[in-house]
Amino acid sequence: MAQESNPRFEFRIFGINLEKLTATLDKLTPRLQTRKMNSIYLLTAGNTKNNIKIRDGIMDIKVLEQETDGLEQWNPFLVGEFPLKGDVIKTVVFPALGIVCPVMDRDQYTLDQFLKEIISIDPDLSVAFVKKVRHGYMLNNCITEIAEVLVNGALINTLCIESEDPKQVLAAKKMLGIGNDTENVNYPLALKRIMGLASLPKKYWESND
Amino acid sequence: MSKEQLEIGAISKPRFEFRTFGKEFNEAAFLMSRLSVPVPEKVWERFSEEIYIVSKTNDINNTKIRDGKMDIKTLIQSVDGLEQWNPLMKGEFPMKAEILTQEVFPAFKVEMPELTKEIYTLEEFLEIIHNHPDLQAVRVEKERYGYMVNDTICEYANVWINGALVVSLNSESTEVEDIKKTITDLKLEDAENINYLQAIKRVIGMSNKKLAN
Repeated sequence: MAQESNPRFEFRIFGINLEKLTATLDKLTPRLQTRKMNSIYLLTAGNTKNNIKIRDGIMDIKVLEQETDGLEQWNPFLVGEFPLKGDVIKTVVFPALGIVCPVMDRDQYTLDQFLKEIISIDPDLSVAFVKKVRHGYMLNNCITEIAEVLVNGALINTLCIESEDPKQVLAAKKMLGIGNDTENVNYPLALKRIMGLASLPKKYWESND
Repeated sequence: MSKEQLEIGAISKPRFEFRTFGKEFNEAAFLMSRLSVPVPEKVWERFSEEIYIVSKTNDINNTKIRDGKMDIKTLIQSVDGLEQWNPLMKGEFPMKAEILTQEVFPAFKVEMPELTKEIYTLEEFLEIIHNHPDLQAVRVEKERYGYMVNDTICEYANVWINGALVVSLNSESTEVEDIKKTITDLKLEDAENINYLQAIKRVIGMSNKKLAN
């Protein structure tokens, strides 16, 4: 399991209407690239420390190392490419999901077998099929992105600022006018809220009742 | 037999419905707006916030709560791919345990939870749903634009399911042929008929099927 990069501190928000933030970002720095990608996220209600996703047949896990000043530091590591050994699924993937690993009939699993034979039949597991259009920027030496995200076909937008240096992320937040009262929402939490595995923010429910 | 003249907002006999959900239906929405006859101002734009209760084991009863009132519709038949829904139950919170036991939970087709109180507020009811492994309460906000095409009641809607946006179009009428003509006129022949219950289940991952686009 190779280290992909140094752990970065991250601030991320999700919402439908990010036009104002996008306009501010566009004024501050040029858009560098746009990429499209599809990912599959594996989610459990109890897991809040591991971000587990599969992209282009490769699984990686980001582990939440620490939270400081409203930022989260995630440490990515590569689990491997499908077909994935049963032993890796048992000793790496399921411990990260925080649930008991089922009995496996194969020594190794293709992605299709993994999804059909292990994931889809587990009542404690949910899968989010996510399509992203990611627009990349550099702001205050931070990797910054605005992305349109389709979660099982439903749209939500996200903005993310990340850097190995938390001070730079905090300064970039300030440049965008994002206050300390804005919640930092990571991908698993946003997906779990949409899919009903995590409660919606209290404010969201209260505003309409 | 003469056709029933549909009036938007009025009570009619059970209507057949075509509805679809996806990320965009720009062409169909444009056609709907151009083909529509003028409609009453009250349906030009409507906003609502609802809670749908979805069940892993039920696909025929559609339960929603709006402004503290519960409304359950049941699927009575499908004709030529169109669905006909009938009201099954209407109630209001606080709700008696007797009604929950005899009418509401049977509609979910799940194991009956133990009810220890005589009457339940909406918050208490949602707590029961939260604790039930086969049920989920889903927040749905709608921004609906009403039209009338080929004597069918139509709408284009932006729908937020737990905060994530999908677009929905529908055509409903007591007359199946009018809906079928509308589907053709809106160039929606290839779009799957997806009702609210199914769309919500797909977005929240309770069903692994995809939306129409």
